[in-house]
Amino acid sequence: MIRVGNASGFYGDRIGAVREMLEGGELDVLTGDYLAELTMLILGRDKLKDPNTGYAKTFLKQMEDCLGLAIDKGVKIVTNAGGLNPEGLARALQGQAKVAYVTGDDVKDRFPEALTANAYLGAFDIAECLSAGADVVVTGRVTDASLVVGPAIAHYGWEKTDYDRLAGATVAGHVLECGTQATGGNYSFFTEIDATNSGFPIAEIDEDGSCLITKHEGTGGAVTVDTVTAQLLYEIGAPAYLGPDVTTHFDTIRLDQETRGVRISGTKGSPPPDTIKVCLNTLGGFRNSVTFVLCGLDIDAKAALLKNQMNQEDITWTLARTDKDDADTEETASAFLHATIKTPDPKQAKAFARKAIELALASYPGFHVTAIPGDGTPFGVYKAAYVPKHTVNPKAVLL
Amino acid sequence: MRKPLGTIAGARSGDKGGDANVGVWVRTDAAYAWLREYLTVEKLKELLPEATTVDRYELPNLKALNFVLHGLLGEGVASSTRFDPQAKALGEWLRARHVDIPEELL
Repeated sequence: MIRVGNASGFYGDRIGAVREMLEGGELDVLTGDYLAELTMLILGRDKLKDPNTGYAKTFLKQMEDCLGLAIDKGVKIVTNAGGLNPEGLARALQGQAKVAYVTGDDVKDRFPEALTANAYLGAFDIAECLSAGADVVVTGRVTDASLVVGPAIAHYGWEKTDYDRLAGATVAGHVLECGTQATGGNYSFFTEIDATNSGFPIAEIDEDGSCLITKHEGTGGAVTVDTVTAQLLYEIGAPAYLGPDVTTHFDTIRLDQETRGVRISGTKGSPPPDTIKVCLNTLGGFRNSVTFVLCGLDIDAKAALLKNQMNQEDITWTLARTDKDDADTEETASAFLHATIKTPDPKQAKAFARKAIELALASYPGFHVTAIPGDGTPFGVYKAAYVPKHTVNPKAVLL
Repeated sequence: MRKPLGTIAGARSGDKGGDANVGVWVRTDAAYAWLREYLTVEKLKELLPEATTVDRYELPNLKALNFVLHGLLGEGVASSTRFDPQAKALGEWLRARHVDIPEELL
């Protein structure tokens, strides 16, 4: 059995989780996911300003605090915190541990219009890094589950055609990738458990790819068939879940409650598609928004007056009728009119804010806004693309 | 009985680019037999009128249905002007809708 934990479900997750996971009990590998679709855009913009950045800086902070502890305890670290610059992050950690990185996900040369274009790599290069003796493996864009599948491959020596095993570990990875969402965070039946401070999840993966989902003893939250089901349903499509190493059949997963957590077994895998998904982010333009508060009578007419006065193209209006008739608090007498502008021109985004505020003494009775709008911010457009698998060449590098 | 769907069903939702998904699960075989029959694409659209193009998948092993709501989030989280651009609370909205639940399942 190999114990793989998770200490991060996104860039911004509980910073102390790495220490919690290292000190809270036994582990073989600690993983951390830092890359959502949106994060690639944020890192892309960081990198535009400074080409030496482009990785998750909070991970570096966590390693300054905990890398020594991890090495002392013999726990390997595997993370996608490298973002758009895995080599940069690996070099920042060099000297403190045996560090390896996985590269080759960047396919921007094939999508010149994109700000970022990264192929979702698989788990075998992560496994190669671990087999070469790395203490820390840093990747860029790999599938979230690969962070968990890679260590299992390295530990058991699985082959590329061990589809059921790879599928089982992929399920473990899917359960772990969002951290506490598997252990009672964001859980529909939260009133039945104590979700105040849920512990991060652990998968104890067996040689056949089945696993026990659990968490360190004494931590909050819960690991039940329901909390695990909730996470299995997160961000999925058809039951045949496509990945770079295996197609995982979610309709074959079996869940059983055990004392220490939930056993996942029975998962079937089949060969992966011959294309690889690419995460594309392009800069879409600039956006700005303001929320007007409309209180009391004539809400529709108040909204209509404002729309007339703003009279600017590219604005999306949403009127939320949260107001109640004859309300006994001002807040419950109020509705919210959200206005958002999206425009290719940053000047237009700024002008939108000025125009809204200039109306303060000249519009509907009771005019006020929830917050003064800023100058506007750039926004991205996310698209998925697919490239033939044989044209993507991942590389494992041990520093 | 007329009750919120969430009385017997859990849900989790999220985003994939401009699409949203919402997984709905129940806790007994009897409840799943009902859910599978009741929560059709048409019913989902009735409960969530913002939904337009919807795919529905059955996961009997998890006593769950998964719905993919195409295009709900425009061009994805960073550009969406929708309230809740990542569809994080779509599942909780669905659970709050009142539906006719057989009394023996309550």
